[in-house]
Amino acid sequence: MTAPSHATLLALEGVSFRYPDGAIGLDGCSLAIRRGSRNALIGANGSGKTTLFQHANGLLRPQSGGVRYAGEAVEYSRSGLRTLRTRVGMVFQNPDQQLFSASVQEDVSFGPLNLGLDRETVRERVAAALQAVGMLRFADKAVHNLSFGQKKRVCIAGVLAMEPELLVLDEPMAGLDHGMQEELLAVLEGLHARGITLLLSTHDIDFAYRWADQIHLMVAGRCAVSLEAPNLADCADDLAAVGLPLPQVIALHRQLAASGLLAADRRPRTCAELLTMLKTNDCRKGEPCCVA
Amino acid sequence: MLIEQSAYANRWRCVAPTAKGIFALGGFVAAFAAGTPAAAVAVAGLIVAVTLAGARIPPVRYLRVAAPALFFLAMSGLSLAFSFNYAEAAGGLSLQLTSAGLHQVAEVSARSLGALTALLFLVLTTPLIDLIALLRRLKTPEVLLEIMVLCYRMLFVFSEAVHDTLTAQAARLGYATPRLAMRSLGELAANLTLQVWQRAHALHVAAQARNNDGPLRFQEAIFDHAGRDIAVAATAGVALIALAVGMGMA
Repeated sequence: MTAPSHATLLALEGVSFRYPDGAIGLDGCSLAIRRGSRNALIGANGSGKTTLFQHANGLLRPQSGGVRYAGEAVEYSRSGLRTLRTRVGMVFQNPDQQLFSASVQEDVSFGPLNLGLDRETVRERVAAALQAVGMLRFADKAVHNLSFGQKKRVCIAGVLAMEPELLVLDEPMAGLDHGMQEELLAVLEGLHARGITLLLSTHDIDFAYRWADQIHLMVAGRCAVSLEAPNLADCADDLAAVGLPLPQVIALHRQLAASGLLAADRRPRTCAELLTMLKTNDCRKGEPCCVA
Repeated sequence: MLIEQSAYANRWRCVAPTAKGIFALGGFVAAFAAGTPAAAVAVAGLIVAVTLAGARIPPVRYLRVAAPALFFLAMSGLSLAFSFNYAEAAGGLSLQLTSAGLHQVAEVSARSLGALTALLFLVLTTPLIDLIALLRRLKTPEVLLEIMVLCYRMLFVFSEAVHDTLTAQAARLGYATPRLAMRSLGELAANLTLQVWQRAHALHVAAQARNNDGPLRFQEAIFDHAGRDIAVAATAGVALIALAVGMGMA
């Protein structure tokens, strides 16, 4: 389909989609996902995030505009969709929507078997995918005996076993407690380290700021802003327009910089980084650092 | 749920389902081949002993699982034993118990008991997913297997949905009076109908997202020592049949 070195993996160009009941899913939405990047899609409920994901996987077809994968227009023939869905894996928000076999390893094997792979390759892929999400020891368990977080990880394994280039996750952190979120985050880091491009939706602006390379802001069916995450502080107005605050660490850093306690030009992405900056200043100089 | 718990937690969880299926089949054949009620009861006793001692199913749980079937068997036995008889000379309708009827009840009940213990052995030691995989190897039509897989999975999804809805209704006094309870039950049914439709659609979309184009394909589990297990089970099954037939001839 494409040269694998193409820098933009997925591109939506002026995509519009309206549901049969008249609700607007996407309205002239344009967006580009860079190969190998971590992307967070931020937006209110009903802003078109899930609709966009379903276009990425070919579950929905644009009524106007187009979708490109690695530079080439997506074909909506049977073979074209097969190729797209092999390369773009989608993890749904509700695990019970995605898991329909009763056994963990059976469900993970579903995707690779649909690709027509032989049994031995499928077995290897299932083991590798379950290993990647830390669920190998649950391979023989029944799905209904798993916790919510474990089900989510099995969902990711089910898509990983198809070895996608782009993994799309619809609100993966929803419903998970703090510990489970940290575990899932570690899984995502592992996948990113393997070169898989990640695109996920979230309502948590703090998480998006500390995790993503790029942040895309969805408003009323279109991508209002796409920016490098470190530049988020410059988009306070765009965030405010959709009722989102700046990440707390930015607000805190600004206040500390205004008070002369920290340099304004180095922007921490996490509270841990901020604390480290504060401690480093104290230890090195014994007094507040200069404001840039 | 009791069956489900045992199927996943018994000592023979990792024994090949084919072997357990062969032993259960041996039990069925032995129960029906038993020449006398005593032989069928002996077969049943042996299978129960194997289930409790071999697979380590707790006896209390075994009895709780078997109780409804045993109750049904007892009712059936009673209805077979007694017959209504209408004779004007005897003063109209009367209940009759004959020795021929009693023998027939003993025979049928003992065989049913043997078959019941064989079936319980299979379901208490083998998770349904392994049984479905076994049926797949036995070339059961794919469409039946797909329905079984989806029904089994949906059983748990919907029992959760029913539980959640019932709790939500009860929390708002939905079952405070018989009249309200009827109304709440109606709403529960309507709500579940909608959920069935929505979940069916969601599963279809999820299957498409993973490149599904029709039949649901799944990987089968591998069981170590399957050959050895099958040989042992076949021997045990034949021994059961021999015992049943031998006792009948004696």
